[in-house]
Amino acid sequence: MRDRAGPASSAVTVAEPERPQFDAIVVGAGPAGSAAALELARAGHSVALLERGPFPGSKNVYGGVVYGRILDELIPGWYDEMPVQRWVTRRQTMLLDGERSMTVDFRSQSWGRAPYNGATTYRAEFDDWLAGHAQKAGAVLVPSTVATRLLRTERGRIVGVRTDRPDGDLTAKVVIACDGVNSFLAKQAGLFPGDQAAHTTLGVKETLALPARTIDERFGVSGHEGVDIEMLGCTQGIPGGGFLYTNSDTLSVGLVLGLQGLAKSGKRPEEVLAELKRHPSIQPLVRGAELVEYSAHLIPEGGYDTMPQLVGDGLLVAGDAAAMCLAAGIWLEGVNFAMGSGMYAGRAASKALSSGDLGALREYRGLLESSFVLADHKKLRKAPELVLSERVQQRYPGLVCDLVELMFTVENPKPKPGVRKLLRASAKRNGVKMRELARDALTGLRSFG
Amino acid sequence: MAEPLRPLVVALLRWTDARARIDPLSGEVETDPRGAGPSEADRCALEHALRIAEAAAGRCVAVTLAPEPAEELLRDALACGADAVLRVDVPSWDSRVPDSGATTARALAHAIRTELGEPSLVLTGDHSADRGTGSTPAFLAAELGCAQALGLVELSYADGELLALRRLDRGRRERLAVPLPAVCSVEPAGLRLRRAALPSTLAARTATIPVVTGSVAAEPVTAHAARPFRPRAKELPPPPEADPRLRLLRLTGAHEHREPPRVVVTDDPAEAADELLEYLRGKGYL
Amino acid sequence: MNQRYGDVSFEDRMSHVDFRVAEQPHIVVDTDVCRSCTTKTCVHACPANLFVPTAEGGILFNYEQCFECGTCYLMCDGGNAISWSYPDGGQGVVFRHG
Ligand SMILES: Cc1cc2nc3c(=O)[nH]c(=O)nc-3n(C[C@H](O)[C@H](O)[C@H](O)COP(=O)(O)OP(=O)(O)OC[C@H]3O[C@@H](n4cnc5c(N)ncnc54)[C@H](O)[C@@H]3O)c2cc1C
Ligand code: SF4
Ligand code: SF4
Repeated sequence: MRDRAGPASSAVTVAEPERPQFDAIVVGAGPAGSAAALELARAGHSVALLERGPFPGSKNVYGGVVYGRILDELIPGWYDEMPVQRWVTRRQTMLLDGERSMTVDFRSQSWGRAPYNGATTYRAEFDDWLAGHAQKAGAVLVPSTVATRLLRTERGRIVGVRTDRPDGDLTAKVVIACDGVNSFLAKQAGLFPGDQAAHTTLGVKETLALPARTIDERFGVSGHEGVDIEMLGCTQGIPGGGFLYTNSDTLSVGLVLGLQGLAKSGKRPEEVLAELKRHPSIQPLVRGAELVEYSAHLIPEGGYDTMPQLVGDGLLVAGDAAAMCLAAGIWLEGVNFAMGSGMYAGRAASKALSSGDLGALREYRGLLESSFVLADHKKLRKAPELVLSERVQQRYPGLVCDLVELMFTVENPKPKPGVRKLLRASAKRNGVKMRELARDALTGLRSFG
Repeated sequence: MAEPLRPLVVALLRWTDARARIDPLSGEVETDPRGAGPSEADRCALEHALRIAEAAAGRCVAVTLAPEPAEELLRDALACGADAVLRVDVPSWDSRVPDSGATTARALAHAIRTELGEPSLVLTGDHSADRGTGSTPAFLAAELGCAQALGLVELSYADGELLALRRLDRGRRERLAVPLPAVCSVEPAGLRLRRAALPSTLAARTATIPVVTGSVAAEPVTAHAARPFRPRAKELPPPPEADPRLRLLRLTGAHEHREPPRVVVTDDPAEAADELLEYLRGKGYL
Repeated sequence: MNQRYGDVSFEDRMSHVDFRVAEQPHIVVDTDVCRSCTTKTCVHACPANLFVPTAEGGILFNYEQCFECGTCYLMCDGGNAISWSYPDGGQGVVFRHG
């Protein structure tokens, strides 16, 4: 049987190659890998970009919004050429509880003009586009090829990868693992700390077709404007959240479900999603839409504290492979962090290659720390735990909905009660202690503030 | 016919999206170049071509009539071991051109002759995944003026002799000795396209893909029959039962078990109405 | 009562996804190990619904419509019941939207 990449695969020991075939091998043509390959190829190094799918993006699933600021540096003028479905000009955070919901709705028309903020796009199109840039810069894209094992010398230096093709060993001076959340390569290198299941969530998503005009009407947008809705309290007690994004003529509706919570619940993911689609706040938005794709993918959700070591001997790890996805409640950002970390990995590798000193790979971490990639993650390191806590997941949505309901329910001739009193009553009704609330508010302020 | 020094074996690959989406209202077909590639039958044809070229010490060339994104398919053919590839470009991509078997065959025959020389054998899939008439190879045989053998399941070449196997009705098989030069089409059966090795894959990634312009005058599709197609009546033996009543039952299909239609039953008319409305809403009619 | 119209059937759901089925399975489940597994987490956690419990307490697994997500090997309670790997390059699921 051929070599395969899986949790049981391991590195192979090889002799030090005399002349490596490439300066660098980048594994995975997702946003991290393509950014790394682009950076390296631009600096004049020879790069092989391996991708296991038949084309970049074919194996990848996400919710739907790419925040492109980092592209200003990678591909100036990106917004005139990137395959965009809609530009997000309206962003909502929705708390759901039973039949009720409370929404914070923000709109900014300036997000719909250059230099823009976020865009909905399909991964099959976006990843292909970004990899195209890496190719144009000189990287060699090798699709339909799985990197199955790391090639390692006696002394532990990583000098290439084995692929699942006949005659499939490929050598290079540096390997950059951008192989996504399952990253078997980072695991083979021994960079990953233990319990992945505890910090991983499962994303399931439906792409639903609706005429563009109907989407415009239902979501109050027009032309290229789009909406981004993040939801809490829609997962039937399973730690996680939901999302709803508008594309030109489809909607992306999905859920993010903590693996362990999902296991405990005994519920099937698509059933929880079907329940969300029946919620009175969501049903009118998705009604009558026709399913065009159902998809699923894992997300590394642990944040800063669960990241692996980022640098090995001859190896760098970037993107989801390094758990660099920011999935903290109202944020679901991974593509920008993947592109950022990939770019810096490419930069560090390029410097090491040019100077001939592979020790310079260690500068990768410094580059990340002085940029948004690790700065944001460090600041928000407590956020995943808070957002996925039982209080935020199960009690706060109810508390908020109670509070708002009490505030706006007119009880004439009784006089309106004060907000403080209502808050205390709502907290009590949802089993939240005022002290807990204050503490979480403080953690929240420290993280998000 | 005398064998040329290095016989030319051509594999014709048609670039199709096997998962094209059809708009239920307009009937428009949406295809996605990223998901497109050769059909399984075409892949088998390429594998046959590679094997036969090897056995005959010949040259295997993969040819497609398709727009630029189809280059991926030719790179794969190179990686699998094709000696050369050729893309026949359609001037301005007009989907009607490759939809006409005759025009496609004419353009391909012309391109093969002028760019590659007289082929000893042309191989292709039995019929394409999208158009599906299987007529292109026949037209091509006519254009090239050579023998044709279509819908083959096995092909073997030894000592200048090409032997083929074809499925017939009722599980029978037909063995053919195919005279060369010939055009053969194969069913997607019996073998799979080999997996390309890494070194040849790497080489193919950066290879330049030669392109020639297909000399095709697009023929609009012409309708020859104005009446709908009516199959002729078919004679069936009567049911074997002796009792006429049983024969009648058998003929009408009464009492036979079948899937019942979905019926919504409720005692309450209001509820039934609700359910009907909900159903229509769910289907997007309201 | 109206729920049955609310959602498509599971086969329908999967029929919209492009799977290029490889000759060899990329995931193999050892049903002997599953027989002694009490949780059977895989049965409801797999988003593609590929784990089917059998009458004898084992698991019937079908690799053909797999999203290659990794949920099952991370969640499996039976030690090494699942031999998991990616399918050969170019095979398996192909998302058109993602
Ligand atoms: C449901 C869901 C919703 C999300 N929503 C958003 C969102 O709205 N916005 C956002 O910014 N982020 C979102 N994310 C996160 C985002 O998708 C990821 O963080 C991002 O894709 C990470 O990029 P990457 O390049 O590191 O990894 P990936 O995109 O996973 O790319 C890895 C690539 O490596 C390839 N590969 C893997 N192993 C091998 C191997 N052994 N050999 C060869 N190739 C290999 C894969 O095929 C893949 O192409 C979401 C994620 C999910 C699952
Ligand atoms: S990888 Fe995902 S889709 Fe495939 S069997 Fe496992 S859980 Fe199911
Ligand atoms: S969880 Fe693992 S051991 Fe248990 S039934 Fe599923 S595959 Fe088998």
